[in-house]
Amino acid sequence: MIELKHISKWYQVGGKPTFILKDINLTIKEGEFVSIMGPSGSGKSTLLHILGMLDDANEGEYHFMDQPVHSLKEKQRSQIYKQHVGFVFQAYHLIDELTVYENIETPLIYQNIKTNERKAMVADMIDRFNIVGKKDLFPTQLSGGQQQLVGIARALIAKPKLLLADEPTGNLNSKQGEEIMDLFKQLNKEGVTIIQVTHSEKNAGYGSHIINLLDGRIEKTN
Amino acid sequence: MGAEYYPAASRLPSHVCRLTFAVCRFTFHDNKTQHMLKNYFKIAFRNLWRHRVFSFINIMGLTVGMTACLLIFLYVRFELSYDNFHPKADRIYRMVTDLKTPSETVHPSGPAWAVGPHLQFDLPEVEAFTRVNFDNLLIRKGEIKFNESNSIWADSAFFNIFNFPLLKGDARTALIEPFSLVLSESAAKKYFGKQDPLGQTLLVNAEGKPAIVTGIMKDMPENTLIKCDVILSMSTISQYYWKGINDQWGSYGGLTYVLLKPGSNAQVLQKKFPAFLDKWNGTEMRKIQMFPTLLLEPLKDVYLRSTRDESKGNLKNVYIFSIIALFILAIACINFINLTTARASERAKEVGIRKVAGAVRTQLARQFIGESMVISMIAFLLTLGLSCLLLSSFNQLAGKTISTGIFTNIWLVVLLLGIALIIGMLAGIYPAFVLSSFKPIMVLKGRFATGAKGSFLRKSLVITQFAISTALIIGTIIVYSQMQYMRSQDLGFRKDQVLVIDINESDKRETFQQLVAHIPTVKATTLSGSVPGGGHQGAYSEVENGKGDMQIANLDLYFVDFDYISLYDIKMAAGRPFDRAYKTDSNNAMILNEAAVKMLGYSSPEQAIGKRFKQWQHEGQIIGVIKDFHYHSLQSPIAPLTMRMQWDRFGLLSVKVNPSNVQSTITAIEKQFRTVIPNRPFSYYFMDEFFDRQYRSEERFGRLFLNFAALAIFISCLGLLGLASYSTMQRTREIGIRKVMGASVSNIINLLSKEFLKLVIISFFIAAPVAWYFMHQWLLDFAYRTNISWLVFAAAGTLAVLIALLTISLQAFKAAVANPVKALRTE
Repeated sequence: MIELKHISKWYQVGGKPTFILKDINLTIKEGEFVSIMGPSGSGKSTLLHILGMLDDANEGEYHFMDQPVHSLKEKQRSQIYKQHVGFVFQAYHLIDELTVYENIETPLIYQNIKTNERKAMVADMIDRFNIVGKKDLFPTQLSGGQQQLVGIARALIAKPKLLLADEPTGNLNSKQGEEIMDLFKQLNKEGVTIIQVTHSEKNAGYGSHIINLLDGRIEKTN
Repeated sequence: MGAEYYPAASRLPSHVCRLTFAVCRFTFHDNKTQHMLKNYFKIAFRNLWRHRVFSFINIMGLTVGMTACLLIFLYVRFELSYDNFHPKADRIYRMVTDLKTPSETVHPSGPAWAVGPHLQFDLPEVEAFTRVNFDNLLIRKGEIKFNESNSIWADSAFFNIFNFPLLKGDARTALIEPFSLVLSESAAKKYFGKQDPLGQTLLVNAEGKPAIVTGIMKDMPENTLIKCDVILSMSTISQYYWKGINDQWGSYGGLTYVLLKPGSNAQVLQKKFPAFLDKWNGTEMRKIQMFPTLLLEPLKDVYLRSTRDESKGNLKNVYIFSIIALFILAIACINFINLTTARASERAKEVGIRKVAGAVRTQLARQFIGESMVISMIAFLLTLGLSCLLLSSFNQLAGKTISTGIFTNIWLVVLLLGIALIIGMLAGIYPAFVLSSFKPIMVLKGRFATGAKGSFLRKSLVITQFAISTALIIGTIIVYSQMQYMRSQDLGFRKDQVLVIDINESDKRETFQQLVAHIPTVKATTLSGSVPGGGHQGAYSEVENGKGDMQIANLDLYFVDFDYISLYDIKMAAGRPFDRAYKTDSNNAMILNEAAVKMLGYSSPEQAIGKRFKQWQHEGQIIGVIKDFHYHSLQSPIAPLTMRMQWDRFGLLSVKVNPSNVQSTITAIEKQFRTVIPNRPFSYYFMDEFFDRQYRSEERFGRLFLNFAALAIFISCLGLLGLASYSTMQRTREIGIRKVMGASVSNIINLLSKEFLKLVIISFFIAAPVAWYFMHQWLLDFAYRTNISWLVFAAAGTLAVLIALLTISLQAFKAAVANPVKALRTE
């Protein structure tokens, strides 16, 4: 599903390139649950952003479902992205001015899905996540775990094939964290490919693979 | 004393301690204040610099607003200052007359010539009077000759009543003797150069009677309605040119001013006028069926409030511009308040830290007010500079020298400074109040709801701004479409390719006409006393009406010759034009316009043909009726008009010329003029320009309106730009999230623009009815006016939306194309 070949990313600092990612080669098959680990500054988030097409690599090839993402135009890329990728953040990143319902609905609006259909999809999702009673609340009225639940619901609403999560439990307590990870496991069983960035060995254990990053290179995979 | 206490010091430790502590605290406090002030200023300037765009918008908007306001203030002050500078202004009145005839009430320029000289016999309230009659005196000195268009006749009390100081000569005696002339400084220079003009001789009028210069006056200021360069003593007229003028009760002309004795009441005096007129002229009044009423207008009110045509000012325009000035200032203040409060939340962290460090609320409030005053002071200084730069072009725009310098009146500068301080204060108070109330813990934990506070206020202020701007756009469009309407309206006559030459009733007029007619590029010529757009006679007339009675009326009168109607292409409604084939036409024929026919009660123009008339010792028959044509500007309705032939009344030669080579035609005409009428200066004008000059003040009004409307819109847009960029900044995170969710650039632009567009559209619906109401009132001044079409509103609304959209989308686009990862990483 995903194939990275010789991906490198660097910034110019004082005329010299500082590498964040260096010569990354990676293959991820459909249905896998991959955890990316590594110390701070090892390039985990950058790798995730590149996988999520939010950022470009300076060098290398990226194939997503047999499409050469690195050579696609912005428009085509955003088309792929919209259809197949969902994103979950550590800080949830819900829009404070919108209700839970509206937050979950947002991605559908950008995919030109009709109102009736949208309503049905959001209702399903809310039902599935057991947050019917909270659908008219604003993010600030929810606990962290609940907010992240909404964040995941939003990421899943467009039925993506790939779910990217950037330390999804980083702001949660251990019980909430466990619930989220269980949910991920469940989703993975249903066929969603998941790539998560995490600091926690325990969370990494939920996945089928672990990729260890150090100073922009893949140290080991298991 | 101290010596006694020292040994006891150990017993009083607390006292000493307290004392030293107090001293310490005092000095410490003083130090702190200094530090605080320094700190505040440092932060104020750093803030200005760090947010250069906001500061620029803030300062620029305020500067432009205050400059516009200052210039308009100067203009309004000038308009209100007309003839206010005479020390006796409160006692000076202008006499005006309503003349009631059996047909209508007419308003001659002033009372009968005899009124002034007779006031002193019956009315002790009157201290002095002077009649003022504008003339076009021909003045010669050797080869130098001028038609002095700014010349008047005036009675000897002129300089006693008005405050026009004489530089040379005696003000009390200068205008007593016949053929006395008083010249303005610049007129004197024109004739005499560096020579002393006093006692010198100039030749007046065509026959060149010598007149003595008896006084030189300072050039009259711009703000007087009696502005002139040459004054000829009234006794010249009454003793030489028109001997019976002082007893003319039936002839109206000129203006009459009276100076009342201190303490006398104009209302009381006015009530004595009917008896006064009845005593001197009652029998005649009843005989000719013309009943005048005399009214007094305070001199100070003449320019703006007089209902007579001669009043050149327009009170409505003064109000309109005052309101515009206030609006512009309001818009600029709104920007200032909006941007400051919008940015308030950014300062939250600073407030939190200061509070944790021990600042109390009043100190913080003071700091924020101080900062906004720094901005308003910078704007104040820039305003002074900008106004100085713009003053001369503003004078040009206004069409008169309203002011020679900003600093000529120090109170104006002080006033402006006061306004600037108040604006700074007002704009600072609200943010100061909001900011200083933040709870430090909340702010520092980052749990501070941004933007939502005061957003209602901001929205209403933006609506106000755009409502004002949209109303001004609508106003501008209507003013311009009215001007367009007046220009494009069918006037009922042709004014193109007609040249009018002033021959000033010279007895060589026919010789000259024949010579001009022979120039090959001249198509036609006609002599007349009046041309459209210029002055004309008003004559006591008796015309047979529909009932067969001789109806008395004061009718407008054009003296014209045979070819006038055809040259100007005036259409006949019935009968025939003047014709050389009829001998009686030269003396006993009259032509009416349709308005006159209607006034006389005929249902069709044909019925008027052959009816009798009597006018100024001539009688005869109506031979034709012309269709109404606009012989005045479109501000006034078409009045009843009569046309007759009378050769000695012809002062103008109209020449229809071939449009190619006009200049050489003029040269040829001038050559003939110099040989036939050598003792007069050659002067001419083009008919179309002459007619259109009546719209000059409307044009000026339109130009001013346009300029200030553009300014208002500009300032509003500055504010909108600031708010839009602020709002995008606030929503950076949201935009990032939305982009991650798959929003495209156009989705984001849409999102950001919609919010502001809503406000602009609301403001349109507020502006439209208000603008409609006021512009409808403005249009009522025109007898012929354009309809306010819905297109005007559509255009104005579209324009406002487009301008706003352009302003906002610039910011929105910038935000929309930014990389979302950056926005989200900041968390």
